[in-house]
Formats: sequence, structure tokens, C-alpha cells
Amino acid sequence: MSLKKFSELFGDLDSINSTNNKIEVLKNYFLSNDPIDNSWAIYLLTGKNNKRFISGRYLKNLFSQIYEYPQWLIDTCYLKVGDSAEVITLLLKNKTNSRKKKLSNISLNELLSKTIPELSKLNEEEKNLEIKNIWERLPEDYHLIFNKILTGTFRVGVSIGLITKSISKLINIDEEIISHRLMGNFKPSIDSYKFLINKNINLQELNSKPFPFLLANTIEDKIFKNSINDFQFEWKYDGIRMQLIKRSGNVSLWTRGQELVNESFPELLEKMSHIKDDFVLDGELLVWNFKEQIAFDFSLLQKRINRKSPTRSIQIKYPIIFIAYDLLEINGRDIREIKLENRRIELEKYFSKWQNKTENNITDIFKICDLIFPKDWPDALTYKEKSRENNTEGLIIKKKTSIYSSGRKKGIWWKYKVDPMQLDAVLIYAKGGSGRRAGLYTDYSFALWKDKELIKFASAYSGLTNIEIKELDKWIRKNTIEKFGPVRSLKPEMVFEISFEKIQISKRHKSGIAVRFPRITKWRKDKKINDADSLENAYELMKKIS
Amino acid sequence: MRTKQDYLIRYKDGNLYCELADIWIDPSKPVKKALITHAHFDHFTFGCEEYISTKETAILLKERVGDNIKIKTFEYGEEFKINGINISFHPSGHILGSSQIRFIFAEEKWLISGDFKLQKDQTCKQYEIVKTDYLISECTFGLPIFKWDESNKIANDISKWITNSPEKTSLLFCYSLGKAQRLLNEISQTNFKGNIYCHGSIHKMNNSYRELGIDIKDTIKIENKKKIDELKGSLILLPPSLSKGSYLKNFKNIQTAFASGWMSIRALRKRSGYDKGFAISDHADWDGILEVVKKSEAKNVFFHHGDSEALSKYLIGKESINVLFFGK
Repeated sequence: MSLKKFSELFGDLDSINSTNNKIEVLKNYFLSNDPIDNSWAIYLLTGKNNKRFISGRYLKNLFSQIYEYPQWLIDTCYLKVGDSAEVITLLLKNKTNSRKKKLSNISLNELLSKTIPELSKLNEEEKNLEIKNIWERLPEDYHLIFNKILTGTFRVGVSIGLITKSISKLINIDEEIISHRLMGNFKPSIDSYKFLINKNINLQELNSKPFPFLLANTIEDKIFKNSINDFQFEWKYDGIRMQLIKRSGNVSLWTRGQELVNESFPELLEKMSHIKDDFVLDGELLVWNFKEQIAFDFSLLQKRINRKSPTRSIQIKYPIIFIAYDLLEINGRDIREIKLENRRIELEKYFSKWQNKTENNITDIFKICDLIFPKDWPDALTYKEKSRENNTEGLIIKKKTSIYSSGRKKGIWWKYKVDPMQLDAVLIYAKGGSGRRAGLYTDYSFALWKDKELIKFASAYSGLTNIEIKELDKWIRKNTIEKFGPVRSLKPEMVFEISFEKIQISKRHKSGIAVRFPRITKWRKDKKINDADSLENAYELMKKIS
Repeated sequence: MRTKQDYLIRYKDGNLYCELADIWIDPSKPVKKALITHAHFDHFTFGCEEYISTKETAILLKERVGDNIKIKTFEYGEEFKINGINISFHPSGHILGSSQIRFIFAEEKWLISGDFKLQKDQTCKQYEIVKTDYLISECTFGLPIFKWDESNKIANDISKWITNSPEKTSLLFCYSLGKAQRLLNEISQTNFKGNIYCHGSIHKMNNSYRELGIDIKDTIKIENKKKIDELKGSLILLPPSLSKGSYLKNFKNIQTAFASGWMSIRALRKRSGYDKGFAISDHADWDGILEVVKKSEAKNVFFHHGDSEALSKYLIGKESINVLFFGK
């Protein structure tokens, strides 16, 4: 099968908005291609190939060198396009009229298992020559895919859920099973594709993998009509949701992003391996302040996530805990179909057993989540408002009778997040966006008053509608004071309501404060810059919280 | 050394102006005398005492805004004199009637490119190479990422797009004057043989083109209460202004596309909100602009409309010509 089909698939997926149509297109693709190409397609579309063979910068330099193109001109084009692979693809158009034999029939498999991996074995000079050679031999329609794979930026609007659905439709097997099969390390091969579309469900194989996660929805007003006693209340922790699994003596830890992260948290695995029972636990991983029994900031957890085989001193510096919310499987028995309240009883029973019978103390790394018992809904609201005090984001509310299905199922689990903190700030800088927002000014910096001066306090790029972005972009171009490369300083005139989750002292910032997840929640056209908040207001807000 | 004030043509209040003849080119505010390069609304404003254009431009303009304007017309290549300056229109290949305007005074030649393209277009006269000393060129697509495909390739892509979804109504958005007629002409030469409907604004322009002797396939004016079934598998041409808002609710099971040069960029395609983008333009691409600069033999070039900075910088480094700036 030639790369042509995949190139068309990419074009289709890129232009179709309807989910059902995307599924249809994917199904047809899988039906009409080799298993090996299909497995590569899945590998690419699910974003499992994040490997970058060369950087975007390298690609641009190489093009500049080969075709004697000024670097600044390529950079100017990049500002408009927002993607190195695409810029080079556009510039390559009509450039490669070479008499060399075209690689019209190259397959996706050949490209990914041979052509590209072989590139990385070459030295720089050979590699450059070979890329030029491939550019000249590859039909133009394939350049984008080739460049994107090279730079590790292959992305198209397809989620793993969509792939799951289309395979599920293709072979008429439950999505949960497919989602199991796609979890973890999917390696492209004929066998992996055949396994994926195998109509016989292999229990043993499936058992080594986590269950699809059940997710909470944003709170809806209608919930308040129900009796408070129908629900279980938990704190909403700001860590990483995970499943901790022990089966046949082997412990594994999976993130919700279907990543196996055993290597990052060896101390947890070691401790849990001493438990006699097998289990699947749904919970949250956090860096934990054991003295005060609250979570540390998420930023400390970030220091652990990407670090494989952490040293002992890192483990002590950033002590982790796994807080179990739910028990999904115990000693080989899948209990997801029993009611939450009964699963909770099981969870508590086993936790107390493990606590007492395990030789080494597990509570320095593992616990089950505390429940909260509000008297009525106003009381629940009070708990929610207090959640900042214990470093949580609000409440999770679960129907006691809910079974553990998968996905963001409606009407059973809700998240009730604490209201964000807000300040009105003045727009002072704007920077060009990339990707989908290329060519527009979409990255903004905001300032607060300090006496008569505006001091930058946060940058944000989300929250405006596309129409507002365009409108603001026009305004920015007309009200620029100075340009510094891609950044423009602006006439202070526009006021925006900025919401954020956390505010703390920071020595790194001129303003002396740092905020977490700042985002634009309103364009305050009704406000003049003198109405914007001051740094003093920000400090007051900080005091009020702590 | 000449100052900006001495140029035969310069920028004044954001418009091109020839002081010696007291005449404006495509002014955006009412003036006494206005030369009009073509009949697009961003090159025309109401309220001028007198307009001067090609015959075709005058007919199209009157069709769009009514007979209530005073227009003097000239043929392509026909010279006329204002205050001792020789002025003439030359085909610019942008749309029917579109022109470049040449000024000759005291043996110095100036050429205003107007909006132009070099690509083949059977609905208007091919761009004419005109030699000049000074060139004022548009550069809407003045970056090397813009390279147009042949228009018949795009037309075939459009045809495939429609015929691949026979159960759908395909809405193609495009400018109602020029682009629409060019597309109609190209699409009639593809495998798509279904019905083509046009919005009233496009339909009107089709008729004017036909009256001016241009070959435009028969089209049906779209009525608001067309039965959904009748539209299945057919193509409907609409102006971009209707792409947002309630108009689309008149249709069921649609796919939408936009025909514009900007659609060659993926980010713009995605942001546009259309299902699909067809990169076809009535403006010159990068190579087209460079070719005109070269073949016009101009020693001095001004760019306006678009990414003039990059193009200027590139040319300054390459060719032995002066790239000048009006200053605004």
C-alpha cells in the first residue's frame, strides 16, 4: 500500500469536523490497508510517535542551506504558518523537479520502519544529503507527513478514543476491550494490529492492563435537587490520577494518559509488592506533606513525573503518596459492576487489613481517601470553599449507587471546583501564537498597578473566543508602541478579567507574585485602565486565602 | 535627491495620489477624480465626482451600485491626457475589466499594478507585461510559502470533493465577483455535471459576465425555500459573508469550503471554520510578483497591500533595483 492512502487519510481527518464521519473514514482506511500499515497509522494517529528525529530549527536550517534561502525569510514565513514542518513543505513546492526516480509507491511501513530510522544512523553530512534526496524523490503530497514525522510533530484532530471507536465498530467488539488493547506500549507490527482486531478476547492478556478510567463531569445544578445522602463526597486533589495494579505478584502504575510509570515511582511499587492480595486501585498520586497531612503544590510533583529511577535523595525530598479512591478488582474478581458504596466498604476493609498485616508500614506511601460528610448542600458548599486550605481544588461528588463504567459518563460523578480567583489587569504585551493560532497575536501579558506604574504579573493565552482573538489582533497591530522580535509592547488601554487557581509569593517575578493557570475570563471593555486592580489587591487576595 | 513630495505618484491619506493630475487611484474616501482599477468594493467608494475606468469595470460597477455614478471609460491600451500626463489602462488578469494603470510624464513611466495575477483565467484578459521605470505593486501574498497550483487542478479537487459526498449539499464560499465566475468556468470543465446554484449576488455578476461575452455555464439562482432533496449532490456558490449566522440553517446535511489563497495554510484553514479550503487566488503568488518586478524592468519598486517588508528586504538583497517606501 502506498503512502498515498495515508496522506489522503490525513487530509480527510484534518478537514472533517464530524466525529461520526471521522470514524467512518478511519474504518474504511483500516479495511483497505495492510495490517502493518494500519498498525503504523494507529501508532501515528494516537500520538505514540513523539520521537523527534530532527528539530524544526534543524529542518529550517537545512532547507536554507540546500536551497540558498535566507534564514530570516524562512522565519518570517514561520510566523505566518506556525509549524516548521509545514513551512518547509510549502517552500519545497515546485522546488524538487529532479530526474531522480520518484518514491511514489513507498508504504507507510517502509517510511517509518526503514527510511526514517536509517536516517538517524547517518552522520550529519550524510543525513542532510539523504533528507534532500528524499525530498526530491518523494511526491510533493507526502512532504508534509514526512517533515512532520521527522520533527516529531505529527498531530491531527484524532483522539485515542476515536481510534478506539473505529476499531470497535470495525470488528464489533466493546470499546472497553479495544481501549485495553491500545493502552500502554503499542508497538507497530502485524501482530500488534492482529491482536487489536482479534475477535477472541484473551483474558490473560487483558488482565495485565488497567481499566479505562471513569471521569467526573462538571457540576450541574440539577444535582442539588437530590438528597445529599445519595452521594459520597471526596476532596478533589491536584495530582495525577492513576491506577495501581497488582496481579500475580506484579505491581504496575498507569496514568490516565495510558502511560506506564513504574520507573518513576519505584518506592511505591516496592512497598505495595509486599501486600499479599492482588488488586486494582483507582487513585491519585501526590507529593505529600506528611507533617500537615496535605498535598504539596503540583509543581513539586512535576519534579518527579519525568524523572526515571529517582535517587534516594530525590525520593526523600519529594515524598509521594498514592491516595486510593476506589477498589476495582480484588484477587482477580472484577468488582466494577457493584455499587460504589459497597466498593468503598471493600476498600476500607482491605486497607485496614493491609495496614495491620503488612510487615512494613505502608501508610508512609499509601492511604485511602478520606470522605467528607456534609449535612446538606449549603454545607457541601462550605466544604468546597474551604478546599484551598488543604490544597485541594474542590470536591468530587459520586453517586453511591454508581458502577465503575468508563469515560466521562454523565449523571454519576461530578467535580465541584472552587471558584477561581480573579483580578482585572491591563494588557501590555502581545506575542504571535503558533500552530492553529499562527499569524495572530494570541499570547498576552497582563499588568497590575503599583503606584503609577503597570507591573507585569501574568501571561495568558486562553479564554477568548475566535472572534475576540481576531478583534484583539487588529487592535494590537494598530496600538503597538514597540516591536521586540515577535513581541509587541502595547498602548495600555485594554482591561481583562484574569482568573487563576493559586497565588503565591515569587522572588523570580518583578511583581513579587506568581499565579497558577492564569486565563482570560472576560474582556472588560466597560473598564478603563484606572479601574484595573493593583498589586496591593493581589497581596490582599493572597492574605485572604492563607 | 528627490524627496517623496516630488514623486509623480505618492501616498496621501492612505491612498495613491497623483498631484500633477489631481487624480486618485482607488480612493477610500470621496474625491473629485478617481481612477478605478477594478470593481471590487475595497477599491471603490461612493461620492466621487467623477470615476474613470475600463468599459467592463464601469458596467460591473453600475450593476453593483446602480447607474447613479458618473464614469468615463477607456479601452485597454488607449491613452488619455490629464494635465499633460499620459494615462492608460492595461489588463491585470485579476478579474474581468481589471487593470494596471500606466502614467507617463516627461519621459518617466509609472505603473500601478492594481490587483493582479499571472495565472491563466478564461474569464478575463491575461496580465500584460508593461515596461516601466517606477512600479507600484500589490503584494497580498508576498511570501514564498504562497505558490499556486494550476486552477484546473483545484477545480478537479472541488469536483472530487462534491462527487465524493453525493448525499450532501456542497456549499462553496467565494467572492461573488471574479472568483465565483472563474470557478464556474473551471468547474464546468471537470467531471462534476450536477446542478450549480448561486446566491443572488453571484447570479447577478454571472449575468453581467455573460453579457460581456464571457463563457459562464448556466447556473440557477438559489431560492430560500428550495427543497432539501433537490439540493443533494449539487454545488452552491455563496459569498463568504453568509458563512456565519443563520443563513446556513436553510440547508441540511451540508459540507462547506472556502476558495481563497489563504487556504494554503493549515492554521488558517482550521481557524476559518470551513470543512475544507481550496487554495485558489486572483492575486499573484510570490513567484508571480517577482516575475512582474523583473519583466517590468522597473528600476524603482514600491510595494503595498500585504507583506511588503519581507518582499522588499528580499529584493534589496537580490536584484539591482531600488525598493522604495512611501512612508505614510
